[in-house]
Amino acid sequence: MALEDILSQTRVLVVDDNAALRGVLRVSLQAFGCAKVIETGSVAQALEILKSQPVDLVITDWKMKPRDGIDLVSSIRSPVSSPSPGLPVIMLTAYDGTDRIRQARRAGVNAFLIKPVTASALASCLRDVLTGDHGYVETDDYVGPERRQADRSDLIGPAAQLTASH
Amino acid sequence: MAKPNPDVEMIAAPNMLQIKIGGPIGAADLHLIEKADNALNDMRSDFALWLEDEVEKLEKSADIVRKEGLKGKEGEDLFIRAHDLRGLGSTYDFPIITRIASSMTKMIDMPEKRDVAPIGLVLAHVNAIRAALVQNIRDSTDPVAAELAGQLEVMAAEFAAPWED
Repeated sequence: MALEDILSQTRVLVVDDNAALRGVLRVSLQAFGCAKVIETGSVAQALEILKSQPVDLVITDWKMKPRDGIDLVSSIRSPVSSPSPGLPVIMLTAYDGTDRIRQARRAGVNAFLIKPVTASALASCLRDVLTGDHGYVETDDYVGPERRQADRSDLIGPAAQLTASH
Repeated sequence: MAKPNPDVEMIAAPNMLQIKIGGPIGAADLHLIEKADNALNDMRSDFALWLEDEVEKLEKSADIVRKEGLKGKEGEDLFIRAHDLRGLGSTYDFPIITRIASSMTKMIDMPEKRDVAPIGLVLAHVNAIRAALVQNIRDSTDPVAAELAGQLEVMAAEFAAPWED
């Protein structure tokens, strides 16, 4: 299936406390033909949205206050409190250090979108996350991408993004 | 064959360039990128305005740091503003601002660094960012801007060197 066909059925939640950057993402996702683009500037509101309406993919910024993107991913991955713990999550970040990427992978992030955001990088990231066929793990307190691979530094890069079949 | 040394952990260097450019997109989907680029072009006239808002936030934080110092919440707020600009500069067609903000964040991204960072050098980054925006200098093709950014990077890197791996 072409990426365009997949995106036409994909409802995306964008979480970023910077309204202008949310706008850039919204315009790009709408141009890609996404079925729906929902945006919010806070983690608390994002969690409310996830409880109240169907979402197929989350794109979240990392650095937000009072709760950050890692906090959001951890909440999503908890089968106890999350309505959809297997939801694919793309982390938007200006951090490109190995330690940061490991931290995000441990939290259950599927893929990274390194700022600055370009249409090309966004499309590439969406393709990897939405068309990948990698298994999830399920435990009592976590559902999401295999986290042991978070410690394999040779896996860093788009070709190795932990992607989801859902 | 040499025995593996248990005290040494071999780590393959991550391909940061690959992370940044992403994987290839199929030809069938290239038109999606073109559509999004066109849509973003329509927004382009707003970019400088949005960037102005972000630079104002940075300057407000810098004013507080000038009075209170970099320790504690004041320094962290300044880091967050610089970090935002690092991500936004290139998106808004000012890659030189991303470059300068990136240099600035290297000096103040950890509390231990903020405790001892030279405030004058940190604030020189803020002034350079403002100058780039006011003079509409967008990238490093401007020789003066390139020289200034380069000097700031060297001094910031020198300061941050003890914290590097």
